Amino acid sequence: MAQVQVQLQTQIIDKPKRWDLPFSRDLPNEIECRDLTEQELDQLLEAEPFSKMDASKFPKSLPLREILRNDTRTRVYHNGDAVVRVGDYGNSAFLILEGDCRAVIEGLDASALGRGKKRQRSPLDSLISLFTNPKSPEVRDPSLYPQFAEGKAAVENSASGRVFAQDVPNVLELFPDAYEKTQNNVMPQGSLFGELGALGRVQRSVTVLASDPTRTKLLEIRWQGLRDLMKYDGALREHVNQLFRSRGLLGALQSSPLLESANLTAQQWEEVVAEAEFETFGSYDWYGTYQQLRQKDEDPLSQEPIISEEGQYPNGLLLVRAGFGRLSRKHGYGEHTFGYLGKGDVYGLTELMHNAESEDHMPLQATLRAAGYMDVVRIPTRTFEKIIYPSLKIAQEKGELPRSLSGEQIEYEGSQSAAQSAANGHAEKSKKNKLDPSMMEFLVENRVINGTQTMLIDLDRCTRCDECVRACASGHSNNPRFVRHGRIHSHYMVANACMHCEDPVCMIGCPTGAIHRTEGGGEVAINDLTCIGCSTCANSCPYENIRMVSVRDQSNEVMLDPQKGRPIVKATKCDLCVSHAGGPACERACPHDALKRADMNDLDFLSDWFNR
Amino acid sequence: MITFKNRRRWGLTISVILGVAFAVMMLAYSVMLRNTAFLSGWVLFTLMILLTLYNARKKLTYPPLFKSASWMQFHIYAGLLSFVVFFFHTGWRLPTGSFESILYVMFILLAGSGFIGLYLTRTIPKSLADRGSEVIFERIPRFVRELREQAEALVVESVGFNDSTILSDYYSEKLADYMARPRRIGLHLFWVDRTRKDFQHELRALHRYMNDEERSVAEKLSDVLVLKDDLDFHYGRQGLLKGWLFLHVPLTYGLLIFAMAHMVLVHAFYGGLA
Repeated sequence: MAQVQVQLQTQIIDKPKRWDLPFSRDLPNEIECRDLTEQELDQLLEAEPFSKMDASKFPKSLPLREILRNDTRTRVYHNGDAVVRVGDYGNSAFLILEGDCRAVIEGLDASALGRGKKRQRSPLDSLISLFTNPKSPEVRDPSLYPQFAEGKAAVENSASGRVFAQDVPNVLELFPDAYEKTQNNVMPQGSLFGELGALGRVQRSVTVLASDPTRTKLLEIRWQGLRDLMKYDGALREHVNQLFRSRGLLGALQSSPLLESANLTAQQWEEVVAEAEFETFGSYDWYGTYQQLRQKDEDPLSQEPIISEEGQYPNGLLLVRAGFGRLSRKHGYGEHTFGYLGKGDVYGLTELMHNAESEDHMPLQATLRAAGYMDVVRIPTRTFEKIIYPSLKIAQEKGELPRSLSGEQIEYEGSQSAAQSAANGHAEKSKKNKLDPSMMEFLVENRVINGTQTMLIDLDRCTRCDECVRACASGHSNNPRFVRHGRIHSHYMVANACMHCEDPVCMIGCPTGAIHRTEGGGEVAINDLTCIGCSTCANSCPYENIRMVSVRDQSNEVMLDPQKGRPIVKATKCDLCVSHAGGPACERACPHDALKRADMNDLDFLSDWFNR
Repeated sequence: MITFKNRRRWGLTISVILGVAFAVMMLAYSVMLRNTAFLSGWVLFTLMILLTLYNARKKLTYPPLFKSASWMQFHIYAGLLSFVVFFFHTGWRLPTGSFESILYVMFILLAGSGFIGLYLTRTIPKSLADRGSEVIFERIPRFVRELREQAEALVVESVGFNDSTILSDYYSEKLADYMARPRRIGLHLFWVDRTRKDFQHELRALHRYMNDEERSVAEKLSDVLVLKDDLDFHYGRQGLLKGWLFLHVPLTYGLLIFAMAHMVLVHAFYGGLA
C-alpha cells in the first residue's frame, strides 16, 4: 500500500525541451545572464555571416532566428581577458562581433592563465553529506529547474562552458615584452575561432585573449547551434571545414611529442606544415556502425578501414591526431592484433628511420586500421628524410630521443638485420607491455581503448562486497553512478561506468549541450539542469554507461510532465567524483585492490596492472 | 607498481621485525623484573582499536583517509601482530578464570574468523570468476525464478508433443523442488556437488522413451540445469564471502567491550605492583 502511495505522489513540471534554457541564460554571472533582445537578433541577422545565410533553407522546427536566440549569447571581454585557454575543453565556438582578439600559441604558463583547483566540496561538506543524503533515489530540487513554476528560474551554479576570464593584463605586465615572447596572431572582427575544440571534442589548441583596447564583443555559439548552422548553410560549412583542416593540421604537428624531440627551426616547421597532409579514416560517428557490428557479430576487421598495410612501402610518417587505430600483423590465415594507437602516437617511424640510414629497404611491419575513426597527419617520406630524420638522428645520438614513443618502440641495435630490428621494435613493445594478445584483441574489439578512466575490475580479487557501489552512492546523494557489471575477458571486467572517453561520442547528439567536458580536467559531465532527458547520449554511448532515471523532489514525489503524464527523466553517469576531494570514491573504497580506473592509452601502466 | 608478491614480502618482513622487537622488549621488561602484562595488554588494546577503526573507515567514504586497500593491508598485518602480542599477554597458557576464558575464546574466535576470512577472500573470488556468468548476489533469486519459469515453459511445451508426460512427470517428481530456489548451498561451499550431473544423467536415460522433439526439449532443460547449478554455486560462495563478516564484526565489538571491562578490573585490582 505504501508503495502505491509513493507512486501516486507526483510533482508536475513541464517536460524539458531543447530550448527551455537558452544559452544566453546559462551563465553564472547575473549581469550577462539575459535573453537576447529582438533588436540584437536583428543586428545579428544583418551582420555576416548570418546575413548571407538563406533563412528559408532552415527547417520550421529550427529557424535561423531561433537558433541564434537560443544557441548563442553575446559576451563582452576587456583587453587581456582570456576567452579560451590552451588545454581546456570547450563546447562552443566564438565569432568576433566587435574589436579583435589574439591567438597566443605559447608563452603563457598555466599560472598566468589563472588555472586554479577544481571547485570541490570541502572535506567537512563531504562528510556531512554522508549523513544528510536523501533516502529516496534520484532526488532533485525542482526549484532549480528552469521549467519549474510559471517563470524561468534563475540558474545558479550551472556548467556554463564559460572560460574563467581573469586579470591577464596584470599578468602580462609581469612580462614587459609578453607579446614578443609569445607567438600570437591577431584575429580581426568577423573571425571565427574555437570551432576545433567544440566540434572535435578535443582540447583547445591555443589561448585566445581579447586584445581590443576598448572592448571585444563576441558571439559565443554552442556547438549544437554551430552544427545546425553548418548543416543548413553550405558556405559556413565550407568555411568551418577549411579552418578545421588548416588549424587542426598545425595543432596536430605542434602537439606531437616526436616533433618536439626533433627541435625543428621555424623554417623547418614551415616546410613540414606545407608538406604534411591531413587525412581522416573511418566514420566520425563510428559508434552507430560499431553497435550494429556487435549486434550482427561480424568480423570487426572487415569494418575497419586500412590506413597502411603490412609489407607496403612506408610513404610517410603518420601522426595520430584523434581517434584510434589497430596495429595487427598477419598470422596464419588471419591477423593478430598486437597493439593500438591513439592521440599523439606515431606509425612508421621505425621503418622510416631505418630506410633513411640504410640502403636495405624495409617495408611496413604492421597493418594500421582505423578502429572507429582516425585523424592522422601524414608527413611524406621525402620531408621526413630531409627535415625530421637529421634532427631526430642528432637527438638520438645525444640520447634525448625518448626510447619508447607511445605506439612504437624504436630499435637501434646496429648488429641486427634491418627487418629484424623493426620486427623487434614492434615485438619489444608488445613484450614490454606483457599484455596477453587475447586481452589486446578484447580491448580493441570492444573499443575499451577509448577510455581515459576505464573501470577495470580484477575478478580474481573482487569479493563482490560492493563497497565500490556503496562509496559511489554515498558521494552522489545515495545514487550509485555505475553498475558492477560489464564485459568480461579472462578474469577482468570492464564495468559499466563512464570511461570519460578520449572521444566521447555521447556528446555528439546532445541537443542542449548538457553533456559536456569540464574545462579543467576534461571529464565528461552532465549538467542536470539543462538535460532534457531525450536519451540521445545514453543511446549513443557504445558502452551502455549512461542511465536514464526518473527524478523526484525532496518530498519523494515523482516529477511528471503534465502534458503526457510521463515521469521527467534525466541522464546520469559517473562524474569521477569531481566535486569531492580524493578522486573516484569507487577506487579508494575497494579493500582488495581489485578495482582501478585506468587510462587505456597508458600501456605501461596497464601491463603492470594486469601482471601484478 | 608494486606487485602483490612484493607487497606480501614487505608486509611480512615488517611484521616479523615488529614482532621480534616486541618480543625483545618483553624480554627486557622481564629481565628488569617489570610487569610485562601491562605493556603487552596496552599494545594489544591499541592494536585492537586500530583494527576496529577500519570498519569506521569503510563507512566514511569522505573525507579521503587513505585507500581502503591500504587500510586492509594494515588490518591484515596488524591482526597478525595482535595474535603474537595476545600470546605474550596470556603467557602462552590457557586462562583459568571464567571471565578470562570468555575473553580468550572471543579473541581466538575473532582472530580465527579473520584468518578464515582472509583465506576466503583470496580463494573464493577465483572460483567465482571461473564458474558461470558474473552475477550480482542480490539478483540471484530473481534469476533462479526466471530459470524456473523457463524450465516450466519447456516442460509445458513437451506435453504438447503427443500428450507425452515423460518430461513433465520427471520434472514434477525430481526437478521442481531443485528449481524452486537456490539449493545445495552447503555442498557448493565445501564439497563437490553431483546433483546436477545426476539429474542430467537421468534425463539422458529418459531419451529412449522420447521422440525427437521431446529429446530436443530435454537437451534445453539440461542446459537450464547447468545455469541453475552455476547460480547455486555463486549464491553459496558469494553468501559465504558476505556472511563471515557477520561473525567477525559482532565479535570485534563484543571483544572490545569485554577487553575494556578487563582493563577496568585489572587496573582496579592490580595492587600497585610496578
